[in-house]
Amino acid sequence: MSLIANYLEANGIPTVVMGCAKDIVEYTGAPRFLYCDFPLGCPAGRPGDTASQQAALELALRLLESAPAPRTTVQLPERWHDDPDWKLDFFNVPNMSEAEFEQARKEELAWRKPPPKTV
Amino acid sequence: MIVSAKTNALGFAPAHDVAVPYLERSREYYLAMGYPKPYEWAHQAEVAFTPLEKPLNRTSITVITTAAPITPGKGEQGANAAMNPAAAFEKVYSAPSKDAPVLGISHLHYDRGHTDAADNGAFMPLAALQAAAAAGRIGALSPRFHGVPTRYSHRQTLRRDGPELLARLREDGAEAAILIAI
Repeated sequence: MSLIANYLEANGIPTVVMGCAKDIVEYTGAPRFLYCDFPLGCPAGRPGDTASQQAALELALRLLESAPAPRTTVQLPERWHDDPDWKLDFFNVPNMSEAEFEQARKEELAWRKPPPKTV
Repeated sequence: MIVSAKTNALGFAPAHDVAVPYLERSREYYLAMGYPKPYEWAHQAEVAFTPLEKPLNRTSITVITTAAPITPGKGEQGANAAMNPAAAFEKVYSAPSKDAPVLGISHLHYDRGHTDAADNGAFMPLAALQAAAAAGRIGALSPRFHGVPTRYSHRQTLRRDGPELLARLREDGAEAAILIAI
C-alpha cells in the first residue's frame, strides 16, 4: 500500500495509510500513516465498535490535513487489550506447536506457486 | 496503586508491549516454511508528499483496499474463514461506496487468532466516512472505492496498478485517498 501511496502522492493525490504493521509500513515508506496497534486485520478500529472506528478515521483525516512532512506516523491511542501477550502469537515460529506449524505450512503450500522446497 | 501482572512497580509496560516486529517475524516464518530466501519488502529512501489543496470539508475522499467483495463460488470468505487463495483477485476493481458489497479478507494473512474479519468496519472505513460526510467533516465520500491486488509483485504494483488507480480516482474526482493496509 505504501507503494501505491507514493505513486498517488507523486501524481498530486494526498494519501494516508491506515495499518497495523508499523515496521512494514514505515520500512516501505508512507507519506502519512495512522498506526493502529491492533492485530492484523483491524487497521480501521476495533471490530464491532463504531466509536473506535470513527476515532481512527478522525485521526487519519487529521493526518491528511496537518502532517508537516512525509513519513509522518500517528498512533491511535486505544489499546487492543491491557494484556499485551497477544503480540507474541502471530507468525511467531518458536511459539507454534508442531500441529500449528504443519497447518500453516499446508496453507502456505496452497497459496504459493511454485511450492517452497522442503528443508 | 494497583500494579497488574503486566506492569512493573512504576507502572511501566513489559518489553514486548511494542509494535509487533512483523518484518523479523515474516522473515523467520518463511524461512521456516522452506523458502530459500526471505521475502524482500519494498524499501523507499524517498517518500513523495502532496499537501491537501483544500479544506477537508470541501475534499472528496476515496478508499483503496486489498479486501475483496465476497463472491459466491469462491469458498469460505467471511468471518473466521481459513486462508482462501481462491478469494484473491488479480486486477484493480472498483465498487460503489454507497450500498457497498460485503468485503472479505480470507485471501490475506491477518491475525486469525485474535480477530475474525466479521465486521467490515474494522478494515474498511466506509461507514465512518459516510458519517463524516453527513457531519460536514469531509466534502464527500467518492462514489467508488477501489481494490488493489496483493500478489507481491512490486513491478506490477508500480507499473500497472498505480496508473490504473490514478486514472480511476481522476475519473471520479477523488482528491485524497485513504489506503488500508490489512
